[in-house]
Amino acid sequence: MPPKVIAVPTTDPGAYNPNRPAGTLLQAQALHMREALISHVHELTTLLNIDMNSLKTEADVSAYVHRATALLHTRAGKAAKK
Amino acid sequence: MSTGLDNLKHIVVLMMENRSFDHMLGALKQKYPKINGLTGNESNPDTKGAIVKVQPNAQFQSQLDPDPDHHFPGVDLQIFGAPPGPGRVANMQGFVKDYFSQTKDVNRSHNIMYYFTPDKLPVLTTLATEFAVFNGWFSSIPGPTICNRAFAHYGTSFGQVGMDIFYILDTAVLSIYERMVQAGHTAKIYYYDQPSSTMEIVNLLKNQPQIFGTLDQFISDCAGNTLPDYSFIEPCYNDHPGPDGGQILASDQHPDHNVREGERFIANVYNAIRTNPTLWQNTVLLVVYDEHGGIYDHVIPPACTPDGKIASADATGTGEPFAFDRLGIRVPAVLISPWIPRGTVVPGTEDPANAQIFEHASIPGTVTNFFLNGDAKRTVREQKANTFLGLLTDQMRQDDDCVVFNNLE
Repeated sequence: MPPKVIAVPTTDPGAYNPNRPAGTLLQAQALHMREALISHVHELTTLLNIDMNSLKTEADVSAYVHRATALLHTRAGKAAKK
Repeated sequence: MSTGLDNLKHIVVLMMENRSFDHMLGALKQKYPKINGLTGNESNPDTKGAIVKVQPNAQFQSQLDPDPDHHFPGVDLQIFGAPPGPGRVANMQGFVKDYFSQTKDVNRSHNIMYYFTPDKLPVLTTLATEFAVFNGWFSSIPGPTICNRAFAHYGTSFGQVGMDIFYILDTAVLSIYERMVQAGHTAKIYYYDQPSSTMEIVNLLKNQPQIFGTLDQFISDCAGNTLPDYSFIEPCYNDHPGPDGGQILASDQHPDHNVREGERFIANVYNAIRTNPTLWQNTVLLVVYDEHGGIYDHVIPPACTPDGKIASADATGTGEPFAFDRLGIRVPAVLISPWIPRGTVVPGTEDPANAQIFEHASIPGTVTNFFLNGDAKRTVREQKANTFLGLLTDQMRQDDDCVVFNNLE
């Protein structure tokens, strides 16, 4: 015997309203995203301000590459979800 | 340990937005007396002193606009019916008064007492009566979304009762996803899509991008038997254009988003698991709401074990500090598995001798207990919270005994 099947009613086509004013929750979400982006900018700026000539040793380079990879990987992770 | 628990491989949590238990499931009491819903005589006074009874008039949209207050001071008034002062007791009599402060319209303030009849919510009410419904699942804090969702992710809100960013305050507390990954398990947060994204835990989005996926990936992971050990699903939080120019509707059920679209979303998540016979047998799905959204519920939130955090009087906005010693307002929560008998009702405060009280710290607490044997560091609230996998039994229901939803394309 097949399982009981329940039909789910469709949503009213008029429900879509992207012009609805954003509530406090969505405003907070955007603010949180902005805070996260700021920390990205800090890290990016810090890395770009490092003088390439100061990377003398393998340890210097590996530390730089480590931080750069972490930042690029994060960005790549986001892009991959498109 | 039950056979159902022996077979369990995946825990999936779907957290919806801002609806109270009575608003969504209260009407079920009429047919199912064990469900602690509404008799029809519950009431609140309005600002003119008239008695406003609950009414089965809830609509899918356009009725709770402006968005009912669910920030700490508003919820405090809803619970106590009066501002802080000596001798006041919780009575759940302040919902209409509080909504009037937003609507400035006595008649519209009555909308906060409206509830849905089961025929309007065929998905949620069917799942509640076909599997297990919790009479006593409460939001973790009498406050808004962000701090409540934090309990589902971290088992604490780090002492916060509002919408502020808090997670950078104590990096020693790991999210349940980090705990799982560090222990060699798999865990993922599936948000709907990038325009909706994740709510509240953008710190993880920045530092742990590998633990995120989209709803499409969840559907694909279900079909391909690649679902992680633990999955947390986020609905769509806003109306936005689709990638092909179509219309993507918010499915979170947050007022004033369309409740029926949320029904369809819940059904889609359920079907993704239900229609894979392997996954269906070894997965448990919890559908739960983050908080009540300012909408009436008749059950007084119980006390809970404080976790040592204190929110200041300034932070609460009530003029009094909050010691995290009582829970927020009750929310709908339904546990789904073929190992759960039809019609299971988990007793709450209405049955003190058998009450099992749950809150959102029960989520990371349960996941940690099951997958990590409780070894990972848990917060105080997680340690005190009930876990919910004890509802799985030795008897698996036959395939034809478990519902399927259709008309979802």
